[in-house]
Amino acid sequence: MRNRIASVAPLIASVIVGLLAWQLIVTLFHLPSYVLPSPASVWVALVAGLTGDPFARGSYWYQLWYTVEATVLGFVIGSTIGFILAAAMAESRLAERFLMPYVAGLQSLPKVAIAPLFVIWFGFQLWSQVAMAATLTLFPVLMSTLQGLTTTPHERLELLTTLKSSRWQQFRYAKLPGALPLIFAGLNLGIVYALLGAIVSEFLGAQRGMGVIMTQLQSVSDTAGVFAGLVVLAVTGYVMIAIVRFAHRRIVFWDRDTRLTSVE
Amino acid sequence: MAGSTDVARSAELLRATGLSKEYVTQKGPSILAVDDVTLTLGDGEFVSVVGPSGCGKTTLLKMFSGVVTPSRGEIMHRGTRVRGPRAGTGVVFQSPVLFPWLSVFDNVMLPVKILRLARGAYEARARELLTLVGLARFAEKYPHELSGGMQQRVAIARGLIHNPDLLLMDEPFAALDALSRERLNLELQRIWLDQRKTVFFITHSIPEAVLLSDRVIVMSRRPGRLIAEFDVPFARPRDLDVMSTIPFGKISAQLRHLLQQDDDA
Repeated sequence: MRNRIASVAPLIASVIVGLLAWQLIVTLFHLPSYVLPSPASVWVALVAGLTGDPFARGSYWYQLWYTVEATVLGFVIGSTIGFILAAAMAESRLAERFLMPYVAGLQSLPKVAIAPLFVIWFGFQLWSQVAMAATLTLFPVLMSTLQGLTTTPHERLELLTTLKSSRWQQFRYAKLPGALPLIFAGLNLGIVYALLGAIVSEFLGAQRGMGVIMTQLQSVSDTAGVFAGLVVLAVTGYVMIAIVRFAHRRIVFWDRDTRLTSVE
Repeated sequence: MAGSTDVARSAELLRATGLSKEYVTQKGPSILAVDDVTLTLGDGEFVSVVGPSGCGKTTLLKMFSGVVTPSRGEIMHRGTRVRGPRAGTGVVFQSPVLFPWLSVFDNVMLPVKILRLARGAYEARARELLTLVGLARFAEKYPHELSGGMQQRVAIARGLIHNPDLLLMDEPFAALDALSRERLNLELQRIWLDQRKTVFFITHSIPEAVLLSDRVIVMSRRPGRLIAEFDVPFARPRDLDVMSTIPFGKISAQLRHLLQQDDDA
């Protein structure tokens, strides 16, 4: 208990000092609220956005639900495709040679630049956001899964070979479970990218979503509202990462690295 | 050939004739790892191989396990030619090679799963083997909760679970400290006396080879050839005291000289 207090105290102190400095800068330099709103006005905007009718357009809940939907759908679709492609590339030389030019080419492309294309194909609809989120999720999951599936310790495979194992058994009993720590490292990145993809796509064109309402607030110079939106997104991202980490610890329970980081 | 005794050899289990393995390298000449090895393993016999590093001992073992195909020669198992891995082989490597996501019990049961044997029929045997290697209480633990010596004992139990007739051991105790190593040597002897499997045992340690074996084979520097063979006549069970007897010292000295000669050549 004492240790817990000792580890939480600096955190709280840091937040308080940060907020005080922020307030100080605003009052000292007489900054207008459309440039830098005071912490208090951001708080007011946040409370207003969260406590109103959750089905009203002005509610953060209403907008956030859409963004979360796009993020989760995109994350699931992107990581599934990423996993399947990585498995194919790891198991088949032909698949690897066939897919590598696309993977290598798209890897160096700033993938958010594809967003306008998705708007053309899917319109201002949810699937436009889902496609962007999925595209951003796909690559980190693909690369880390591929690495995980192709770095199985040689002796594990040799042991299975002496037991007349089939290729499927080698995959199922050695390669796949051995790749899980790296697959989760990819999913950890993937969930962050999925949220990023959804927001960027909403900036570009959507009916709903945090990206939409933040652009609208910006156009009427409601800077406090934009700040409140950022707070909402930061908390959302944090919760999403926490869920993936929780699954990581549960599923890859033998992975010492995660056990160490779970102390945090 | 020295130290021949009249130990009645039982039926032969494995016979290798004119066995060679040549590795083709990407550039340059091919490497002859094993050269013209002819060797018979009797049923239930404990045979050790000593020899300098890189002398092809491991390649020989891999050919016995069916993982490596010989370039020349053949291996017969009870009169049938070996082409690829057999269900009747157990393998123990230098490192335990346990699967970290499986409990100790499930690690031991892994060959049963891979060979698609009836799980129920082997669960009791898995418990027996874990008791035999002194890990009955650790069945539900995971590999990272065990010491190196304990992990290697799990690997031995796994090597025996599917009731193989041949156990191939590639320097299984090389990574352990001297005390654990001696203890595991005695334990392996006890396991071997209990299970009576044919064991083909690779080691760098002359005392270990003499302590455990019915027969010790000496291999030369690459290309690996058989240069000598010793029968070890001591009665079993042998304890560590046998290591300080004169006959034990004699055999060890002869082995050491052979290996040194080969070194100087």
